Amino acid sequence: MNATDNVLMGQVSNGEVAKMAVLFERHHRPLFRYFVSMNRNRELSEDLVQDVFFRMLRYRASYDPNQSFTAWMYQIARNANVDQAQKRKGEVVGIDEFDDRRPEPASDSPGPEQTAAKGQDLALLRQALDRLPAEKREILVLSRFQDMKYEEIAAVLGCEVGTVKVRVFRAMRALEQAYFALLGERTA
Amino acid sequence: MTCDQAKLVFTDYWSQTLGEAQELAFEAHLGTCDACRAEAERLGSLWKSLALIPSESKDFEPGVNLRSRFYETLGAYRQGLESAPKRGWRERIFALWPREPAWQMGLSFALLVIGLGVGYQMHPVKGAGVQEQPAADQEVAQLRGEVNSMRQMVALSLMQQQSAGERLRGVSYAYQAPSSDTEVLSALLTTVNQDQNVNVRLAAVDALHRFGSSPVTRTAIVQSIRKQDTPLVQIALIDLLVDLKDGTAAPELSKIINDEKIDSAVRQHAKWALGKLQ
Repeated sequence: MNATDNVLMGQVSNGEVAKMAVLFERHHRPLFRYFVSMNRNRELSEDLVQDVFFRMLRYRASYDPNQSFTAWMYQIARNANVDQAQKRKGEVVGIDEFDDRRPEPASDSPGPEQTAAKGQDLALLRQALDRLPAEKREILVLSRFQDMKYEEIAAVLGCEVGTVKVRVFRAMRALEQAYFALLGERTA
Repeated sequence: MTCDQAKLVFTDYWSQTLGEAQELAFEAHLGTCDACRAEAERLGSLWKSLALIPSESKDFEPGVNLRSRFYETLGAYRQGLESAPKRGWRERIFALWPREPAWQMGLSFALLVIGLGVGYQMHPVKGAGVQEQPAADQEVAQLRGEVNSMRQMVALSLMQQQSAGERLRGVSYAYQAPSSDTEVLSALLTTVNQDQNVNVRLAAVDALHRFGSSPVTRTAIVQSIRKQDTPLVQIALIDLLVDLKDGTAAPELSKIINDEKIDSAVRQHAKWALGKLQ
């Protein structure tokens, strides 16, 4: 049976730093998705993933094994993101690599999930997501891209589970508005 | 179930985390309320599509270099951990040697002056045989003092540099300074409170460990927590207080726990620290 993330991080915390490699393999992709969704800059996002794993190594002694590893990691990720945003304040704007980019064409034979999503233009939905304010985008990314439970999101954001649910609902409404606004722009 | 109550369970409905009774009540409401049913269908459809976005684009896949960069960092970190305690005196001395030619020249000149001075002092003087041993001790002490002041000078100079990398090196030199060196302590505290780079601030917090016996240090650490704009540094400072077993920090930690303006992770950490210190 595979060791849980909490057990692995506990071992890293006790000096078995090589175990961090297992955590990296499990989490670097979702973490990259989180950063790239928030910043829309691949290079910066890769740097931030590195930064998060380095910070986890550096602060491994402060990890409490009773705390959810995922929540702890995303708390560090949010801090890293805030730190880089402060650092980049005043720099020339223009980091958006994906603005108005079209996604790669879908495969010829769509799977069941794609079929379920028929009628919705994912490229447009992605543009709508990008138009949301950061806090709304973040909660949807954590919930849908990272597949995190509301309890875990609450631990990351430092709020109650009920608050998370309300925020998710509001973010979905905002996403719908942005989506239909874009749809209107396209057909106009 | 009213419309307002229904909206509160939309997210659970999409995530399929509703209890049986709640799900029945929700579906019963949708059966009677066209507006809620239409909204649940529209948003539910977007909800499903949202999860498909990352798999639709290569933009969400990291580059191949990310993995190799991580393993390089991990390897270097492990190597650093393994080699740190085994460092011999020779390696420590070599580690002190600066990389920039200008610093190398300065250091060489300073060592030459010290060598001449010591040589001059050690020149045998007739009739001084009885006092030879105390004189030698004095010279060693003097030499040690010279070396310390040189380390201090290097640390203080580097901590003023423009480059964050140089300032980090300055902080690492601070480890070589005696724990009674108030000038280095003062420079470290200034770095912790004012340096623009978070990594430099964090390194300075670590370096403060060796100055922890001073009450000045402890007071400054406590005061610095509120001055920080990064939760990471605040947490590092709180960890330092725990490491130093500074029970006098308890009242300030209590204030931090109750201050809602402070980041929740910091407040949670302060709560944990307070438990450790009491």
